[in-house]
Amino acid sequence: MPRQLYFDTPDAFLEELRAQLNAGIPRRRLRARLPFHLHEAEELLIGRPSRLRYFALGGGLAGFGGGFLLAMLTSVDWPIVTGGKPIVSVPPFLLIGYLLTILIGSLSCFAGFLWLSRLPDPGPLVSDDPFDPRFVLTINDEEAS
Amino acid sequence: MNNDISAPQVETDVLTAMRRPGLAWLTGLGLAGLLFAGGLALWAYQIMHGMGVAGITHPVGWGVYITDFVFWVGIAHSGTLISAVLFIFRARFRTSFNRAAEAMTIFALMVAGLFPLIHLGRVWRFYYLFPYPNQRQLWVNFRSPLIWDVFAVSTYFLVSLVFFYVGLMPDLAIAARHRSGRAGKLYRILSLGWTGNLRQWRHYGRLYMFLAAFATPLVASVHSIVSWDFAVSIIPGWHTTIFAPYFVAGAIFSGTAMVLTLVIPMRRVLNLQEHIPIDHIEAIAKILLLTSLIVGFSYVIEHGMAFYGENLFEMEQFRFRALGHYSLLFWIMIVCNAVLPLLLFIRRLRRSLAFLFVLSLLVNVGMWLERFVIVVCSLARDFDPYNWGNYLPSPVECGITLGSFGLFFAAFLVFVKTFPVLSITELKER
Repeated sequence: MPRQLYFDTPDAFLEELRAQLNAGIPRRRLRARLPFHLHEAEELLIGRPSRLRYFALGGGLAGFGGGFLLAMLTSVDWPIVTGGKPIVSVPPFLLIGYLLTILIGSLSCFAGFLWLSRLPDPGPLVSDDPFDPRFVLTINDEEAS
Repeated sequence: MNNDISAPQVETDVLTAMRRPGLAWLTGLGLAGLLFAGGLALWAYQIMHGMGVAGITHPVGWGVYITDFVFWVGIAHSGTLISAVLFIFRARFRTSFNRAAEAMTIFALMVAGLFPLIHLGRVWRFYYLFPYPNQRQLWVNFRSPLIWDVFAVSTYFLVSLVFFYVGLMPDLAIAARHRSGRAGKLYRILSLGWTGNLRQWRHYGRLYMFLAAFATPLVASVHSIVSWDFAVSIIPGWHTTIFAPYFVAGAIFSGTAMVLTLVIPMRRVLNLQEHIPIDHIEAIAKILLLTSLIVGFSYVIEHGMAFYGENLFEMEQFRFRALGHYSLLFWIMIVCNAVLPLLLFIRRLRRSLAFLFVLSLLVNVGMWLERFVIVVCSLARDFDPYNWGNYLPSPVECGITLGSFGLFFAAFLVFVKTFPVLSITELKER
């Protein structure tokens, strides 16, 4: 049977979490639910940074390259001189690249977040599993983990 | 359901604000809805009868619609400043305003995005603005600032929407716990099944930071790009290098004023005095003062460059702005934007809600007039006297402008009764 402990303050929660870890309970048996983000809990239970940064980097680079190429290739495809500027006008095309860096970077971050945190999660939608206003520490049994 | 969990005070305070709309709210929504409906009807009239019903014509081809566009995009900016830039700087007072300011950004951008369409002669062809493969084998002109605008404003809107929604997710799960029946179900679906486990929070914390980092440069770049609609041309009064920083400062100035216009009544009507302390409002007033000083400085620089420069057309343009046909509007703009906000140096006034509310309304008026003066004066007096002419907005243009305010306020009123107006999760952290 998993044991559930409830706390009203982050300090009490962290104290118990440290005590459990010091008592030799492995990380994989501990589950936490928090009303807001606690960096300390993340460090104690996981310890490595989120992989979301790769989504930010990948999306940003794809957006920049895609934006610049979009402007460049469409201009080459329909090469009409406007305002006496060259067909491939680098400064304004960089601007499109810059804007799409932000757009695709943000959207890919959001998609990455959904993927990494397994959302949308239909479980709590079907069962009555609310977002608890307390700090909850669940200690699983050896075989359940 | 779940009555065994006692909710913290801050949850009840914020969520109580969403209950039972009162008479004031209904009256406000009715008025705003009426204005919006009027604006829509006038737009329909303009679509049926053509652009002749608007006052814009030769030589002033950009009038109130472009003024409105610049005004509303500007309003959006302070929302991002408060939600993203102040987040990165870890400014604590942001939690009192960020939700309302983000909502304001989104509604202002929705309204702003309509104006280029209203200004289009044939609005049903608006999709020509986007680069997509088509039978005509044409592509958009990426060298044109108007296309940069399309990309800047749509990027800004989408990123702001994601940022707003992400900030809302845990609060939607809280709202789901407090509501039963269909409303509770809906909030739960909207929260995507958020339960607050460590895996979710861990990636969420990163996501919020990345989104803030992505949104921060937009505060500086979107209104710069809007300013280049003007600055890239050669019209006197527009063709100047200070336009980008000048527009960005103006945008944050007007947006901050709009935050005060919205938050001061909201705080009172929804009884949120405890969660939006006067010290935090004073911090916003200081941003207003700072940006007012930058805007005032830009006015001086702009006129100084013309006065000390050698360009006859530029000199005549700035003489015309201060002393010509539109001089009354110019001086109202100076008083509202550069003189009255100086009173904020007095601490007692910075902490007076009544004063701040009235001042914020006057700044809104002043900033709308600033855009009008910039857009219209330069077109009314360019190089060739044969090409001069004055412009008067037609009733259709005025009605559509009022309708845009109706849409904005109606959207905001619906927002305060649908979503938590303060970030409950961040208030708990505070």
